[in-house]
Amino acid sequence: MAEQGSQGKQLLSRHPSGVVFTIQNVVSTVNMDCKLDLKTIALLARNSEYNPKRFAAIIMRIREPKTTALMFASGQMVCTGAKSEQQSKLAARKFARIVQKLGFPAKFKDFKIQNMLSSCDVKFPIRLEGLSLSHGAFCSYEPEIFPGLIYRMRQSKMVLLIFASGKIILTGAKSEDDTHAAFENIYPVLTEFRKIQQWYVIVFSLQ
Amino acid sequence: MADAFCPDCKRSTEVVFDHSAGDTVCSECGLVLEAHSIDVTSEWRTFANESADNDPVRVGGPTNPLLTDGGLSTVISKPNGAQADFLSSSLGRWQSRGANPDRNLILAFKTIATMADRLGLVATIKDRANEIYKKIEDLKSIRGRNQDAILAACLYIACRQEDRPRTVKEICSVANGATKKEIGRAKEFIVKQLEVEMGQSMEMGTIHAGDFLRRFCSHLGMTNQAVKAAQEAVQKSEEIDIRRSPISIAAAIIYMITQLSDDKKPLKDISLATGVAEGTIRNSYKDLYPYAPRIIPTSFAKEEDLKNLCSP
Repeated sequence: MAEQGSQGKQLLSRHPSGVVFTIQNVVSTVNMDCKLDLKTIALLARNSEYNPKRFAAIIMRIREPKTTALMFASGQMVCTGAKSEQQSKLAARKFARIVQKLGFPAKFKDFKIQNMLSSCDVKFPIRLEGLSLSHGAFCSYEPEIFPGLIYRMRQSKMVLLIFASGKIILTGAKSEDDTHAAFENIYPVLTEFRKIQQWYVIVFSLQ
Repeated sequence: MADAFCPDCKRSTEVVFDHSAGDTVCSECGLVLEAHSIDVTSEWRTFANESADNDPVRVGGPTNPLLTDGGLSTVISKPNGAQADFLSSSLGRWQSRGANPDRNLILAFKTIATMADRLGLVATIKDRANEIYKKIEDLKSIRGRNQDAILAACLYIACRQEDRPRTVKEICSVANGATKKEIGRAKEFIVKQLEVEMGQSMEMGTIHAGDFLRRFCSHLGMTNQAVKAAQEAVQKSEEIDIRRSPISIAAAIIYMITQLSDDKKPLKDISLATGVAEGTIRNSYKDLYPYAPRIIPTSFAKEEDLKNLCSP
């Protein structure tokens, strides 16, 4: 019980707003530092597809962690689909191992996380129009084109998609801390533009 | 009425501009300072003798400040008789060969004018769209982009800035070949470029259902009473948490109001007039139905009539 209490306190210290976001996708790149022969890899590896007319890279997938990699002839690789930074690194290492086993001298140079996408729910509806009026310089809200408001946070170079239901998508982060900072930045703004519901009307119409 | 220096009075005096004769006259001594001034205002007709051939009073088309030289339209024509006189025919050829620096601009303006005429837009919106296009054109970053989409987006932004927004679907219908997505992307691009260029002056508020209501109602031929009721309903619906595009809300409210009145419009007509799909109108109607007694004004329909409203 005490442990849970302290864990709860830890959570609150990290997420003072009380809302926790989940990371949905991590995109990373790594340089395997050797020229690859895409045709042989495509023929030898079981879970790969290579269509040079459509795209000049091999698309390879592994089951655990469930990720996809794009491998280019120069030796660069993009790894997508992981749910955390450690998983992304692990998956990238697995892909590099596959390439190694196929006979290429693959190394693991310059692993870098390029993008992290997370989603969360603040659990109250938001007045998007009010938000776009007051933060006009950062917001772009076109209900005809896209139902969500696109908030470009200049100080952290992140983009947040804010929906009227209260669901938020944060993207453009290079680490989990970036996402934290951006979310803690936007949370007070969202509470300011909370939609206050009036429930009594629904009761009347049910008669 | 202006102040200019009169040589006879040897001081600055009040000067009157006589439009009928085109004279600038000193009001103190009556000296004519300038005669035959060229009228640069918009078209006016002379009924002297309706010879359509050549009206020597006119000296050219209206000036357009957006074009490089103000739109001077003097050309060298071929003389009658086709003498093949070397000088006159060569001059004609040389002029047409020389690249008119504004050719793209003029073509773009013409396209914008065609689109605006199809939609029945006033000249202010057309001129604003031309200005926006000129500003974008100067930046040169639209070289590779879809020209139709850019022009359509200029028109869309002009309508929004003049507080007479048109839905993207309406603009789509007159823009040849541009899809809703392309126009949306072009619009974002233009807004970003102009913000960088001119600072924060792109004040375009969000669209509301009420902006389009009047137009949709008149397309459908609704009575004045119904139109007023619909406008009130839209005002009240803004407070309710309905997560739908404002156009769909407008269409659903029109549907509700017409169902309550005597002249019921079928879903297909409303769908055609608003550009909203029938399924979407039905879904928006489903969302609005619980709030019907609250948004429909009591002056238009009583509680019992609301019971007649078919449940979605």
